[in-house]
Amino acid sequence: MPEVGKLKAGEVLVLDADTVKRYDGSAEALIIEVHRCASAQGFTLEYRDASSVIAKTLKIFNPAVFSDHTAYDLPPRNTHTAEQVGEAAVRIWRDIVDVLAFLGEVVTSGLSFLVRPGRLRLRDTMLCIERAGMDALPIVALIGFLIGLILAFLSGSSMRQFGVEVYVADLISIGLFREMGALITAILLAGRTGSAFAAELGTMKVNEEIDALTTLSLPPVLFLALPRVLAATFVMPFLSIFAIVTGLMGGFVVLWLMDIPAITYWQHVFDAITVNNVLIGLTKALTFGLLVGLSGCSHGLHAKRSADAVGQAATASVVGSLVLITIFDGIFSVLLFILDI
Amino acid sequence: MDDTVIEVRDLVAGYEGRVILKDIFFTVGKGETFVVLGGSGCGKSTLLKHIIGLHPLLAGEVRILGHRIQGGGPGEREAAMRSFGVTYQSGALFGNMTLLENVCLPLESFTDLPSDARRLIAEMKLELVGLKPFANYFPTDVSGGMKKRAAIARAMALDPQVLLLDEPSAGLDPVTSAELDRLILRLRDTHGISFVIVTHELASIYAVADRCIMLDAEARSIIAEGKPAELRDTSPLEKVRTFFSPGSRQS
Repeated sequence: MPEVGKLKAGEVLVLDADTVKRYDGSAEALIIEVHRCASAQGFTLEYRDASSVIAKTLKIFNPAVFSDHTAYDLPPRNTHTAEQVGEAAVRIWRDIVDVLAFLGEVVTSGLSFLVRPGRLRLRDTMLCIERAGMDALPIVALIGFLIGLILAFLSGSSMRQFGVEVYVADLISIGLFREMGALITAILLAGRTGSAFAAELGTMKVNEEIDALTTLSLPPVLFLALPRVLAATFVMPFLSIFAIVTGLMGGFVVLWLMDIPAITYWQHVFDAITVNNVLIGLTKALTFGLLVGLSGCSHGLHAKRSADAVGQAATASVVGSLVLITIFDGIFSVLLFILDI
Repeated sequence: MDDTVIEVRDLVAGYEGRVILKDIFFTVGKGETFVVLGGSGCGKSTLLKHIIGLHPLLAGEVRILGHRIQGGGPGEREAAMRSFGVTYQSGALFGNMTLLENVCLPLESFTDLPSDARRLIAEMKLELVGLKPFANYFPTDVSGGMKKRAAIARAMALDPQVLLLDEPSAGLDPVTSAELDRLILRLRDTHGISFVIVTHELASIYAVADRCIMLDAEARSIIAEGKPAELRDTSPLEKVRTFFSPGSRQS
């Protein structure tokens, strides 16, 4: 083909298909390409076509139809880094606004539930609580234990140099109750339960089950989202406490290896637990659970109708949850600093 | 007494301002089986979703048993929504509920009946469609045809006067499809239910349709209305005659 590309007006190209016995799509493409070159460069095309391959191909495909390449060009992708960052920021902002708007819908549904409690499907709510709570205990235990272990190792190795490794117990206790317990559990809940909510609801949308609910005059937010949001909010404090307890166990193992007596470790742990620390941890847990539930259900109910869109909804729900958790955790930190708690 | 159950006037249907169908006028009478047909992509399902209020009308009016589906107050829409049942292409049964629970759901939500009565009504609806022995099966455990029949039973739970079926024969073998057609005719005759059926299955159209409209993607509107046999034999439009007699396409 490079030689064909060099042909000019007035020159002749002979396309010899006399001896061709079998041909496939590549041969047909070659014939069309040669015709395209002839019309673009102006050279003359002659055939030797005893096998009728060229005649058959030209009968099926009109070379003029394939003369325009530009029609198939994909729209240019935005590869400018600054614009991509800007788009991502706008997307995150819209995500936050959508979740807050969805919170309004859930609250409205919650009010209608208060007027007529029978409309909330208790069995579905309990099932969601079981899946989001009980079924998550093993992974929460494992991660909580390891976080306690890691915290103790990191802080213990530094504190040991000053001979104050016993205060690792205080650090772990305060850290887990005020921050890490709720945060780690929320991240697990977002990855495990929030994404499952989004995928479930997204698939129901693809299967037209959401449409069916709407035409049965059953609001999807009340029927599907409210039980899930309530379940996520309800289980978070319990999971968080479970993560804290297993984290303290992890810390205990490290301190035991450092020859700190068990009684001393647990004495320091309990001394560090204050009502404020517990309430701060539980408030964060409730808030993060609500955010994960809202993000998962919002992305699921707003998913488009394709398998690809369900996957995107699940991913977006996790990313959205993490962004919201981080933002609200920051807000908590600032508020607690201002209030000096 | 006016026998009209559905009235569609000057409907313009589409999404995000993009018009897919326009100038849609038709009425459906009591006890009538009305079929919306046309080739793939002509807007049949779009029309159905606008009639049942899933998407906002771009213009025009839809009345079901005299109640406006859009444009009236919330009470009027609620009354319109309660007066019909819908089945979807996939059946759209709730996967975490048995067939019986699926049928019970509208009764639980909109009646104050005791649970035993609700259960009995749901079992009777399943019996109507021949699925009582499968009441405790989950949707994943039954065949495609059974899912469609269960969806009809659920749509009939609140005894609507109109049933709208979206592609009821889609994905079914000819025997199962014919069984479904017989079920539709039986429910029409015994319960006086009006049916609006969206389909392009010729065998079903000939079997069940009292009257039909044909939509066309190019015209973005109705191009023919009448009885299937009449349209096949006397329509002035070749594409209508060809649709009803695909075997004669080459002649």
